[in-house]
Amino acid sequence: MKSEILYPGAFPMVRVELAEGEHIKAESGAMVACSPTIDIESKMEGGFLGALSRKFLTGEKFFFQTLRASRGAGEVLLAPTVPGEIIVMELDGVSEYMVQKDGFLAGAAGVVIDSQMQSMSRGLLGGEGFFILKMSGKGMLALNSFGAIHKIELKPGQEYIVDNSHLVAWSTTTTYNIEKATSGWVASFTSGEGFVCRFRGPGVVYIQSRNPGSFGAWVRQFIPVSQ
Amino acid sequence: MVENTPNALCFGDEFPASGAPCLVHVEDHGLTITFSPDRDGAESRSESLRFSELTVSAGGLDHDQLVATWVGLKGQRTLYLKSPDVIRAFRQAAPDHLSQPLERAAEQVRQVRQRHRMVWGIVGGVLLVVMLGLWFGSDVLVELAVDRIPVEWERKLGESTYRDFLAHQDVMKEGPAVDAVNEMIHRLTGQIPENPYTFEVTVVKSDVVNAFALPGGYIVVFTGLMKKAESGEEVAGVLAHELNHVLQRHGLERIIKQLGFVAVVSIVLGNPPGLGGMMKQLGVELMTLKFGRAQETEADLTGLELLYRAKIDPSGMITFFQRLAEKDEGRVEWLSTHPMSNARAERLKTQLAEMPKQNPEPFTFDWTNVRASQGAPPSTPP
Repeated sequence: MKSEILYPGAFPMVRVELAEGEHIKAESGAMVACSPTIDIESKMEGGFLGALSRKFLTGEKFFFQTLRASRGAGEVLLAPTVPGEIIVMELDGVSEYMVQKDGFLAGAAGVVIDSQMQSMSRGLLGGEGFFILKMSGKGMLALNSFGAIHKIELKPGQEYIVDNSHLVAWSTTTTYNIEKATSGWVASFTSGEGFVCRFRGPGVVYIQSRNPGSFGAWVRQFIPVSQ
Repeated sequence: MVENTPNALCFGDEFPASGAPCLVHVEDHGLTITFSPDRDGAESRSESLRFSELTVSAGGLDHDQLVATWVGLKGQRTLYLKSPDVIRAFRQAAPDHLSQPLERAAEQVRQVRQRHRMVWGIVGGVLLVVMLGLWFGSDVLVELAVDRIPVEWERKLGESTYRDFLAHQDVMKEGPAVDAVNEMIHRLTGQIPENPYTFEVTVVKSDVVNAFALPGGYIVVFTGLMKKAESGEEVAGVLAHELNHVLQRHGLERIIKQLGFVAVVSIVLGNPPGLGGMMKQLGVELMTLKFGRAQETEADLTGLELLYRAKIDPSGMITFFQRLAEKDEGRVEWLSTHPMSNARAERLKTQLAEMPKQNPEPFTFDWTNVRASQGAPPSTPP
């Protein structure tokens, strides 16, 4: 399986080459185009209950689509819904990543997707909800963001502060606490940041350069109100 | 054991920030760490570590990974172990000086898990309590909601139903019956302090034995009920009861209960005008509203007091209720919406007995004439 990011920047696509018999799973609706040798199946990853819990708990789609090169080698073009970058990483079987609910684009057959419950404080204040996706296993994993993706590398014990709505993915060797952005409650919210996550290494944190929630609020003011 | 899939991540200055996958073997003397061969194109290389070089703690996102750190030739290294098998082997093989920090790490993991469970338990419990509270405390919420509805708006609600109803009825505009009812209402309403309602009473020509009140102060009395009554005081008793349904805003309470929690919330949060539309949507008809037992009792008792204040003999109310209940001849509809029970009559009697005696003032009309004007026989057989 080979993958390549086309048109890097705001409107990228990822091209995945599949050998005969190989398959990948992708977010439902992510497929843009594919070779005629590719079959598209819809699959409830993790069984019915797993899919149900993913749908209701993380807000992810109920079905993932499986793209299978059943009739010979071929390629697939995948793209996310929102404008923003795509990154492709290789899971090695040991590294695990937590991914916020809209961050998953596609993964190789060996990538395991779980929804996992967060602690109360992270769930309430982290802005990711109580359930997030946990990616483990082995193989290619494509994530997408809203805006550009920035990688923050943390050495053991090194700390970094991230606005909670800018999170895309973070390795499970990191740990984080939710904090007020400033020392005072009022200033915390008037500064526009509210809560932030204080990450502590080692590990990697991927953040997105735009905040989908704020963008939504900004767009809303231009939408004509129908009577 | 020939297994080459990595089971741990190693962090250090020369490794990528996401960690270098490595294979950790636990041996008697310490750990053997084998790095994957493909990294930097270098050969697979192994490192041996003695337990004495290591310090351990719990780490990772959920505090469920075993973190071992040591200072190697190239600076500090940190190893994150996640596989339960390796952690178990590590704990078994670790010498005494490590077992204490290991236990501490394990304790930390247990504490974190316990805390998570406890927090979720508490939140679940609180949610349950809130839901039960809403379920059982809904009366309080209903009252809160009712208090927010302006009388003016309640009038509009009642008025439309009232006009719709009267449009299909034979309304008596004048006559002894109308005069009698007006006199009763006048005497009763004169005794209501700070009355926000302007009561409107209509006598409807119908053999149905019924009388009802709509929210906002609209009262309908059927001639059937008047024919059944042996005195003006009996009818006045029913009217006093109905007036109090209005004054206590029982109709609104029922509507809001039927519309449910959403309505309550929307009103408490300040959107009463939406209720009219909601009512129509849900097809709640004011005419078919039945009052609850507690509301009947409240209307009974406050009705009794009102009669007393208006110096109308309150025993008429009790005897009439009982007579209606005993002789269920014809269509005594009033009973279907106001189910009579002995307990209710007893309650009224007890209440009446507690009130100081007073001399009732008779009505100015002659009840025999009023009944005669309705075509009723001069006196009802006992």
